[in-house]
Amino acid sequence: MRVLIVEDDAETAAYIVDGLKQGGHVADHVADGRDALFLATSNPYDVIVVDRMLPGLEGLALVKTIRGSGVQTPVLFLTARGGIDDRVAGLDAGGDDYLVKPFAFSELNARLAALARRPPLAQAETRLRVADLEIDLLSRRVKRGALNIDLQPREFRLLEYLMRNVDRVVTRTMLLEHVWEFHFDPKTKIVETHISRLRSKLNQGAARELIHTVRGSGYVIRAPS
Amino acid sequence: MSFVRLPRIMRTASFGLAALYALLFSVSVLLLGAVVYWTVQASLDRQVTDRIDAEIDLLQQEFRSEGLQDLVREVNERTAYFPALSYLVVDANGNRLTGNLPKIPRNLGWSDIETEDTGSAVEKQFRVRSVVLGDGVRLSVGDDVGPLEEIQEAFLEALGSVLLVFLLLTLSGGLLLSRGFLSRVDEITQTAEAIIEGKLSSRVPLRGTDDHFDRLSRTLNRMLDRINALVESLSHVSAEIAHALRTPLGRLRQKLEAARADATRSGQNETLIDAAVAETDTILDTFSALLRIAQIEAATRYRGFRQLDLSALFNTVADAYSTAAEDEGKQLVAEVEPGLLIWGDRDLLAEMLANLLDNAIRHTPKGTRIELSLKKQGSKLLASVADSGPGIPAEDRKNVFRRFYRLERSRTTPGNGLGLALVAAVAELHCIELRLDDNAPGLRITLAFEAHQTEEQTLSKQPGDESARIVRAVSNWR
Repeated sequence: MRVLIVEDDAETAAYIVDGLKQGGHVADHVADGRDALFLATSNPYDVIVVDRMLPGLEGLALVKTIRGSGVQTPVLFLTARGGIDDRVAGLDAGGDDYLVKPFAFSELNARLAALARRPPLAQAETRLRVADLEIDLLSRRVKRGALNIDLQPREFRLLEYLMRNVDRVVTRTMLLEHVWEFHFDPKTKIVETHISRLRSKLNQGAARELIHTVRGSGYVIRAPS
Repeated sequence: MSFVRLPRIMRTASFGLAALYALLFSVSVLLLGAVVYWTVQASLDRQVTDRIDAEIDLLQQEFRSEGLQDLVREVNERTAYFPALSYLVVDANGNRLTGNLPKIPRNLGWSDIETEDTGSAVEKQFRVRSVVLGDGVRLSVGDDVGPLEEIQEAFLEALGSVLLVFLLLTLSGGLLLSRGFLSRVDEITQTAEAIIEGKLSSRVPLRGTDDHFDRLSRTLNRMLDRINALVESLSHVSAEIAHALRTPLGRLRQKLEAARADATRSGQNETLIDAAVAETDTILDTFSALLRIAQIEAATRYRGFRQLDLSALFNTVADAYSTAAEDEGKQLVAEVEPGLLIWGDRDLLAEMLANLLDNAIRHTPKGTRIELSLKKQGSKLLASVADSGPGIPAEDRKNVFRRFYRLERSRTTPGNGLGLALVAAVAELHCIELRLDDNAPGLRITLAFEAHQTEEQTLSKQPGDESARIVRAVSNWR
C-alpha cells in the first residue's frame, strides 16, 4: 500500500514511516500542508494520513481542498488532542477515520489497512463468506456449513464487521467504534466477552476456529489454511 | 486627613448629585421667592394707592360742597381720630393750613417723602398724592409705607436664611452620603488589596442591610469563594496528578531497568517490555482522561449536541455490558422505557453511562445484581444505576465525583479515580442532576435529566456567535 503522511512533527512522522516500511509499504512524508495538497492531487495514494495541526494549510482545510478537487483517497486524521467534537469535525471535512495521539502503531496499521482496501464505492454485497461460514446481510441469517447459527443483533454486526475486513486485523477500538459506536475506552472487557460468545456460537459442533486473536493488536477472521 | 479626603469626596457621584440638586433647588426657591415678592409688593402698593385715592375723592367732594373751612375741620378730625393716613392742606401761598404730613410735597400727583433725620424720632416714609382742589388750595394724602418695607425686608431675610440652611443641609448631606458610599467602596478595595497580598480568605464585610452594597459585596464574596474553591481544587488536582503518576512511572522505570539487566535473555525481555508498555498506557490513559474531563468542563462545546434517542442509547450500552457483567459473575438488568428523546452529545452520554456501569461492575463482589433503568417521571427523565454491592459510606458520597478520589477499599482495584469525575463533567454539561443514595444494600446513582433538557430549550445552548468564536479560538490553539 502507498501512503502519504502529512505530519509536521518529525519524530512522529519517522515512527509512522519506519513502521510502514517494515510492513512492506511505501510511505511518502511531507511536513507542509501545501506540499501535501500537491502530492495528494498528483499521485495515486491508497490512503493519506493527515495531522490536524499543520503549518501552511490546516489539516481540515487540506482535506476539504483535496476532496474539493475530486480526489477520493481515504483520509485518516491524526491529532494530539482528544477533543470531544474533533472527530465529528474531521469526518465532516471529508476524513474517513480518526486517530488520537498517542497511538499504538498496530492501531494505525490496522486502520490504514481497513481504509486502503475499502472499495471506493460500497458494493451492494448481500452475502459474505469466509471458509464454511456465510452470512446473509438481507435476511441476517448465519450459516456454518449446514448449521444455522442464531446470533444476537449486536453479535451479527460484530461478525459482519469482521467479515467485511476478512484477513485484516481489526483492533478493539475499531470494533467499539463500528459495532457499538463507542468512541471511548471502556474499562470493562466488552469486546472480549462478545468475541468469546461469538466464537462459541460459531464453533458449535467442534468446527475450526475462524476468529483469531492477534496479540497486542486485535482480531482477524480468516479461513483455516 | 480631611484635606486629602475632601477633594475626593467632592469627586464622588453622590456629592455631585447633592450639589446639582442644591443648585437646582436654590434657583427654583429664588424664582418662587421673586414671584411671591413682586406679587405681594404690587398688591400692597395697590392697597395703599386705592386707599389714598378714595380718601382724596371724599375730601374733594367735601371741599366742593362745603368749602375750605369744612375741609380743614374734616382734616383736623381725621388726623385726630384716624391716624392711619396722614394729611396736608396748603393754601395758594404755600402756607400749611392743617395736616400732619411732616413735609410739603414738591410736586402734584404721586411722590415719596421722608421725615427729616432728626435722630430722636423713627424715620418715616410716606407715599403721598397731592391734588389742587381749587383757588390754589392743595390737598395731600399720604400713607406711611415703612411697615410695608419692613415686610419686604423680612421676607427677603427669611428667603435668604432658608436658602442658606438648605444649601448647608444638602451639601453636608451629600458629603455624609459620599463618605458612607466611599467607606463601602474602600472596604471592597481593602479586601481586594488583601487578596492581592495573599490573604485569599479575605471577604468584603457585610452590614446586613441588604442594600445594593450588601448585595454587591455578597456577590463578590461568592465569586471569591468560587475562585478559591477552583484554585484549591486545581492545586489539589496537581498534587493528585503527581501522586497518581508516581506509581506507574516508578514501575515503568523498574521494568526498564530489569529489561536492561536481562538484555541477553530475549524471552523474558519481551515480557518486561510489554509490561513497560502497559504501564505507559496507564499513564497515557490517566492523562487523556484528565484532558477529556477538562475539555468537557470547559463547556464551550455543544457541537456534538443532537437530538438522540436516549432509550436506544441505554439499550445499546446495557446490551454491551450485560455479557461482560455475566462473565464477571454479575447480573445486569435493564428496564428502559422506549422512545425517550433528549438533546445531547451521544458519545459523551454513552461514555458517562458506560463509566457508571464500569464502576458498578468493578467495585462489587460476584453475585451482585445491577439494575439500569430509564423512565419518564412527570416532565423529567429519571435514569438510575443501582447495585446490591457494598455501597458508598454517606460521608464519602460527596467526594466520589472528585478527580482521583478513591474509596479506601478500592485502592487495590486498577483504575485512575477519574471515571466518576468524568461522569460529573458530562452531567454538568447536560444539566443532569446527579444523586447518590443508599440502595440498602448497595449504591443507587440517580440521574435526573431536567425537563427542558428534553425539548428545544437546550437548543439555545447551541453555540451562538460568541461560543462559536471560542470554539474556533480553541481549535486554533496548538
